[in-house]
Amino acid sequence: MRFSALLFILSQILRWAAKMKPAYRSYIGSIHQVKIMIKTADGKWGRLFIFDKGTVSSKSGANHPYDAAIVWSDAATGFKVMASKSDAEQFKAAAAGKMKLDGMAFFAQWFNDGVKLVL
Amino acid sequence: MAKINGGHLVGKYLKEVENVEIVFGISGGHIEAVLDGFTEYKIRTIDVRHEQAAAMMAHAWSIYTGKPGVCFLTAGPGFANGLTGIANAYLDNAPLVVLCGRHPLRDDLKGALQEINQMDIVHPITKWAATCYDTKRIPEYLSIAFRYAVEGRPGPVFLELPPDILGVKIEESLAPMPKRTYRKYTVHPDDADLKAAADIINNAKQPLFLGGSGVRFSGNSEALGKFIEKSGVPFMLMNYGRGELPDNHPNSVMDMGNIGLMFGITQTDVLIAAGVRFNWLLQSGNIIPPNVKVVRIDIDPHEIDRNRIADAGLVGDVGSVLEQLTPFINKNDHSAWANTLKSAGRSLLDYELRIRETATDPIHPVRLVAQIQKVTGDDTVYVTDGGDTNYFGLAFSTKQKGGVIAAAAGLFGCLGTGIPFGMAAKLARPDKKVVVLNGDGSFGFNAMEFDTMVRHNIPIVVVINNDCAWGMIKHSQELSIGKDRLQCSELGVRHYEKVVEGLGGHGEFVTKDEEIIPALERAFASGKPACVNVMTDPTVTSPATPLFYQSLKME
Repeated sequence: MRFSALLFILSQILRWAAKMKPAYRSYIGSIHQVKIMIKTADGKWGRLFIFDKGTVSSKSGANHPYDAAIVWSDAATGFKVMASKSDAEQFKAAAAGKMKLDGMAFFAQWFNDGVKLVL
Repeated sequence: MAKINGGHLVGKYLKEVENVEIVFGISGGHIEAVLDGFTEYKIRTIDVRHEQAAAMMAHAWSIYTGKPGVCFLTAGPGFANGLTGIANAYLDNAPLVVLCGRHPLRDDLKGALQEINQMDIVHPITKWAATCYDTKRIPEYLSIAFRYAVEGRPGPVFLELPPDILGVKIEESLAPMPKRTYRKYTVHPDDADLKAAADIINNAKQPLFLGGSGVRFSGNSEALGKFIEKSGVPFMLMNYGRGELPDNHPNSVMDMGNIGLMFGITQTDVLIAAGVRFNWLLQSGNIIPPNVKVVRIDIDPHEIDRNRIADAGLVGDVGSVLEQLTPFINKNDHSAWANTLKSAGRSLLDYELRIRETATDPIHPVRLVAQIQKVTGDDTVYVTDGGDTNYFGLAFSTKQKGGVIAAAAGLFGCLGTGIPFGMAAKLARPDKKVVVLNGDGSFGFNAMEFDTMVRHNIPIVVVINNDCAWGMIKHSQELSIGKDRLQCSELGVRHYEKVVEGLGGHGEFVTKDEEIIPALERAFASGKPACVNVMTDPTVTSPATPLFYQSLKME
């Protein structure tokens, strides 16, 4: 539940940043359309982030088509690592097999770098 | 008294002084005496169908053999056709020796056939360029050319030879062959710098060694192996350095791929960059976080602080610097850190690892590479050429030196290099299988070289990853301007294998996963130059595409 709330809050922050933060708007503005999913491996929790020419929208749920996905082993780990905003924690999670990338891995990094501009 | 003409002097010098076994080019009237010199001195000639292929083959020959590669171009259009290959060698620092004809000096400014100022054109893309005006000085000029090509940071050289000096006979005694000197220059970094670098490396908790083409040009894998073994540092080898130590070396983290590198480099505390430039492929150094300490080793002092001020900089040939550095290095074990990198790499590449083992319809390029590897193993020379295709092909695993070269992924991004590189690889290592993974777009640039392969019996297998498009451009356009506004980026279903059959090679057309391996086996069994044209999923975009696209993004 906390994981789901975190994703929702993140989506709101990114929507706000796309309108109010020129650096972020510029960062995402060059991408025509990319869909990033953040979800748990069991598909129980998830949210789709849609980037389209400088705008951000999102949909709840883990069953939408996507270009790239950050897949967490479980919601608790996803919450803990994402809330830490730490690259090192994320890398450790990957090394422990608790975070995997699906699809276009580059966009997962692109998404994370964008989030860093905002938070 | 024995007489010799200028063309024969060229052949004599190449054979007797430089021990040149093979040269690449196309015939032409202006260089007829040189061609006869090759005959006289029994130098094998590979005559290609476009001069760019000749320059690229000679460039590749230098990579696969460690000796300078020689190409010959005739005047005017032959020269112009070779420019792409020369420029590519220039940006890759390859020791390419170009011998080029020109219009007669006698006819200067008279509107001679193929009269053009070649020197002004070629100067910016060569390390050294000159015109020889005197027959008896031909050996001297050649000697200078070869020295410039290989000494210090290697690079292409260009020697213009007018017919006025090539066709003229002189007393042989007037043009003695210079003695070839094989000095092993060793630039010794200051001891304080060596110790500073060693201190950083010895105190590192999570170091990473990144080696590039300079590792290959150094030709000292023994020194590299000793450094890695003693320091325990995990390593990745890129560009021409790939395979200097085998991919399955215990300290190798090659299998974490470029994505793993992108994430992993943020977690290192020390990066040892040897013979590798921080160019656009490494986001001009921006890929390295500010808190990471950087030790750079490069033969060119200008590279040490380029795009990132190094914490320690060691100037010199990579191998000799490592020989000097290793005594200062403490014996260490970073295997836990290496395993962390590998594990993280597996998670980050989870999708690709699953696709490798999954038959899909249409065929995924990642799966295609995996199936090729099953047939050819890790004692094969792999070359990849394309945009997205380069990325997919880098997943090949090798124990061959220069065993996986993304020929089109150099600084010049020169599509079309794959086939010439593959041909040169087969000539240099005839007992090894050679596979070129070509995009369908890049295949077109040098496809006619299948004729060269047939004439000269160069049996390589070219596998086309055919997505019916200039894939990287198409997918970039999809990201930037939208799928409904694609421009000049789509090709079509084309039976390239039939073109190859028409030229005397072997052709295969593949649309299903289960057809890949049998088609490859037939291709190798044919003993002919072969083309396996594989239709792959046109929607697949490699991670290299957004990297490429982002690199051209303007604020």
